[in-house]
Amino acid sequence: MQVTNTSVKRDGLYTILAVAVLALAVIPVGTAVFVLGFIFGDSPCVMCWEQRIAMALVALIGLFVLRFGPRPKYIGLSVLVGAWGVFMGLRHVGMHAARDIGQGFSVEILGAHTYTWSLFTFWVCIASMGLLLIMLQASFTRRDEAQRGVGAPASEELGGVQGAPPFKEVSPRALRPLQKVTMIVFLIVIAGNIVQAFASTGPPPYMGQGDPVRFSFNPKHWVWSLEEWSAAPVSLRGRWAAEKPSVAAVSADPASGPLADLPELPVTGQRQIAVPLKGTVTDLAYDGATDRFLATTQHGVYILDGELQRIVRYTIVDRGFSIDLGEFAGAAFLDSRTVMALGENKSYVVLREDDKADADKNFRFFLESFDKFSEVSRSRLSTVRARMMYTMSLAFDPAGKSVYTVTVPNSKSRRLVVSRFDRRDLTLSEEFAPVLSAETGLKLRGKRSLDEFYVTGAAIEAGRLYALSAAFSTLLTIDLATHEVVAAHAVQGLERPTGIAIKGDSLCIACEGGRVLTVAKTKMGSGAITKP
Amino acid sequence: MEFLNLVLIFITAYLVFRRPERERLAFRILIVSVLLMVFLFSMATRTALLPGVNY
Repeated sequence: MQVTNTSVKRDGLYTILAVAVLALAVIPVGTAVFVLGFIFGDSPCVMCWEQRIAMALVALIGLFVLRFGPRPKYIGLSVLVGAWGVFMGLRHVGMHAARDIGQGFSVEILGAHTYTWSLFTFWVCIASMGLLLIMLQASFTRRDEAQRGVGAPASEELGGVQGAPPFKEVSPRALRPLQKVTMIVFLIVIAGNIVQAFASTGPPPYMGQGDPVRFSFNPKHWVWSLEEWSAAPVSLRGRWAAEKPSVAAVSADPASGPLADLPELPVTGQRQIAVPLKGTVTDLAYDGATDRFLATTQHGVYILDGELQRIVRYTIVDRGFSIDLGEFAGAAFLDSRTVMALGENKSYVVLREDDKADADKNFRFFLESFDKFSEVSRSRLSTVRARMMYTMSLAFDPAGKSVYTVTVPNSKSRRLVVSRFDRRDLTLSEEFAPVLSAETGLKLRGKRSLDEFYVTGAAIEAGRLYALSAAFSTLLTIDLATHEVVAAHAVQGLERPTGIAIKGDSLCIACEGGRVLTVAKTKMGSGAITKP
Repeated sequence: MEFLNLVLIFITAYLVFRRPERERLAFRILIVSVLLMVFLFSMATRTALLPGVNY
């Protein structure tokens, strides 16, 4: 009696499996070809094709189980294909996940594009396999126990000990009507896909395309492509594998830069930051109202006196346990009491000087000097043109009530982009790629470009952005209204410059080792433009 | 190549359905089909094999 009950349960399990395979064959794979493809003309891209085929393979393995029983190699292979399907879904969704609302690739179904449904389908497949395995084990264990008598050792096949006869499924199994229907429907669905694949991708060696052409039964509209076989570099992360910025990696020689015959800006003075800082100097800013400098190190924020001789206050910011701030590369006074430190990954923290700060409350924000600042905000700047590039500079324009950053190029993305963020919400408000003004009289060498500059410091005064490039030791003057480079100067003697600040008539250039060079703005007449 | 792979899948399913005694051959074709699918997807995404998002 127990055996009969178990047999009924086992047959029920095969029925559930048949329904699941039928659903997988009909809903995603069948609908994709007969409805989306043949009726609406949808044509899968190469990635969609492989995802669709993987779904068909999972269903096919289900047919193996229906026919030959739940052998471990079938179950193992179905899990592997399902896991690969989830990976393919993630890879495909990853291409479009960060786009704006409603944007995507190809057809949208119930608010999600087809590749998103693919990810969901494979996830359901794996979850279903887990459920079926649980039911399978229960069913077969009961059968096994019934054959051996309750209390006997479990069979080897079910992971038990030796000595018990393993349960053997009769193979091949005789198919019940529903299971036959499942196999016939699967063959029909695959036949339909064969027709679509021949029209859309062609016979070997042609294969699917990144941007396929709308499906048509008319051979005149068929496009078969070998584009996927063309040579291309193999990479794990593609353009996301951009190296972190480093001022040490660039050439300081102005003569090797993209601009020819640069006028030179003489260094008129230099001094050393007299106090020890934790880390190297990564940026410098100056507040004229209080005659104080702001310097950042990798994780440190320092308010220094106007002579760089004394630390007024400082703190070391805890970069973890919240937004990853990376390493600070930009610093700016937002007002005389509020400072902003920007990581190279465009994540930032805004701090306000506070003599009454609660050290215990600030434990979560800082690693040292807990009672000198209050944290106002910690978030990330989002960019569009500057996306995929790090930044090493930050400047505040009090007149425009805006914060500016400038990109540094990397091996994957090379573009000089200035980004403006409204001070009120620190949201992107303007972006531009500066161009060289013809009025400068300067020329780019050959096919060289302004994108080669590696801006590590920025400061703003009177509508001009002074962008200091560690590469080629060049100071660019950018007009924020016209978006043009209106002057450029070579500054000799810079050693890994990381920041620039405007103090009166002087530009103070901070170098990584703590040396601060001074150049006179009044000397910038040569090569510079005086706008009316 | 997708056309070829779908033909292989069709043959495999037919063997499972109508020629179950050829289970060994069907399973071998299934393995080839899986490997071909993995290869083609990897070919299509070889310039960035991992999902293109922040890590």
